[in-house]
Amino acid sequence: MEDYLPIFVLLVLGILFASLSFVGSALLAPRKKPTSAKLAPYECGIIPDREPPQRFPVRFYLVAMIFIIFDIEIVFLYPFAVIYRQFLGAFGLVEVLVFAGVVLVSFVYLVSNGALSWGPARHLRPAQPERTSASTISRVGSGPGSGADRAA
Amino acid sequence: MTGHLLAAGDPLFDHGLNFLVILIVIIKVLVVFGALMTAVMLMIWFERKVISDMQARIGPNRAGPYGLLQSLADGIKLFFKEDLIPDRADRFVFKLAPYLSILPAFLAFAIVPVGHPVTIGGHHFDLQLADPPVGILFLLAMSSISVYGVMLAGWSSGSKYPLLGAVRASAQMISYEAALGLSVVTVVLASGTLSTARLVADQSHIFLASWNMVRLGVVPFAIFFIAVTAETNRPPFDMVEADTELVGGFVTEYSSIRFALFFMAEFMNTITMSAVVVTLFLGGPDGPTPHIYLLQEIVPVLWFVGKTLAFLFVAVWLRGALPRLRYDQLMDLGWKVLIPVSLGWLLLVASVMAWHWWALAVLAGLVLVGVGLGRGFRVGALRQDDAAAAPQPEVTR
Repeated sequence: MEDYLPIFVLLVLGILFASLSFVGSALLAPRKKPTSAKLAPYECGIIPDREPPQRFPVRFYLVAMIFIIFDIEIVFLYPFAVIYRQFLGAFGLVEVLVFAGVVLVSFVYLVSNGALSWGPARHLRPAQPERTSASTISRVGSGPGSGADRAA
Repeated sequence: MTGHLLAAGDPLFDHGLNFLVILIVIIKVLVVFGALMTAVMLMIWFERKVISDMQARIGPNRAGPYGLLQSLADGIKLFFKEDLIPDRADRFVFKLAPYLSILPAFLAFAIVPVGHPVTIGGHHFDLQLADPPVGILFLLAMSSISVYGVMLAGWSSGSKYPLLGAVRASAQMISYEAALGLSVVTVVLASGTLSTARLVADQSHIFLASWNMVRLGVVPFAIFFIAVTAETNRPPFDMVEADTELVGGFVTEYSSIRFALFFMAEFMNTITMSAVVVTLFLGGPDGPTPHIYLLQEIVPVLWFVGKTLAFLFVAVWLRGALPRLRYDQLMDLGWKVLIPVSLGWLLLVASVMAWHWWALAVLAGLVLVGVGLGRGFRVGALRQDDAAAAPQPEVTR
């Protein structure tokens, strides 16, 4: 356990440093009462009128869940890696191949479900048929209802 | 040397704790602390100077010779700035987040061996702060904790841009953490130890040829370096603070010394991670050393510093040369390239170590899996396109 003593001392020193910085800042910083505009969330000068979003695209959660799969795999790989050269040999290799195979198969399943496709759609969405250039642009001087007609 | 290879932990503690040992520990901690602080200060100056050279500007040149004291001046200025906690913020977490960001940055450096072991006044000790038997795991743990700093900072601000930055950042950091962990497994596989001192000792048989960068193939090294760049939110992966779209990312609401702590943590992480790359893949302080009194202790340290400086320069260079990735490109790179490749390379290295014919079989299997993955990626992209083409439900607010 002595090996962790320097880390602990460094931790204490780090906490001291951060806390003393806050104390120093509290002593040196101007102590006027900030206005309500200053305390509002920063939105480039626009007065915030909407709450920050409560919900996020489900992909972020998927990434977190898939990460757990790989993290667990890493957790198992480290002990394997430490003793592989000395003790395990071919047996360990077969074991880890099976294990990695299972993880990779599930990974292939996930990606082919589109779980990790973040990109923009490569095929464009079909345009709305009811809205064409004829219906949205009013042309001057042609056909009934155009500006030129109404002026006459 | 071989005797030391087998010894676990810092030989400083071989004879138990006494006053002198604790004094040495405290001196080592203070030296590392001071060195890190100075290094951060110089790194900020170095980055600004190099970037400005690359952009044909002069850069900081007022404070001190060549503007060397610029970061110190900036730090002092930040002490005098108003310390705001926004209305909507969760005050406790808002104050906690800077600690969670800077402490792992400090602690991670503790396991980096700076030089070969030395003897001073009858005490034989490592030139590294601590050599726990699970040093690599400690490093991974610290890099995981720093995700909390970023995530909680963004969440607790109660504001849009920090929240978006934080969600992006946590997804990015955990994605690249998987690649990071997998590429380090290859190193552990070759050396059979988790202690950084022994990893370095294992790499210092032959100059260059026994460095992990060379003997494991360049792939784990490249993956580790890319993953580390993403993990420390350095450009071109600085999605967290994408200032063109997210104002300041997760630090938008932070001002004064709290902001300074985040800023310091970022640069400290850059330095630590460069040092870790050197330790894991470039043999740390290994290099041709004259066997002359005193020089044989100093020259390895210079080797270590030189290699680390090279990586710091590359980090700055990347920032100067590459545009920021789009978020989906970033996630694709992490999940669809780095993770499968590092896992495949790990299996390949393991099979080469076991028996050479195994390697061929594993290689064939990996090619098959690769084809399957490629097909999977394409199907996945098509599925997503279908979903995008489907009629969208009316959005109600």
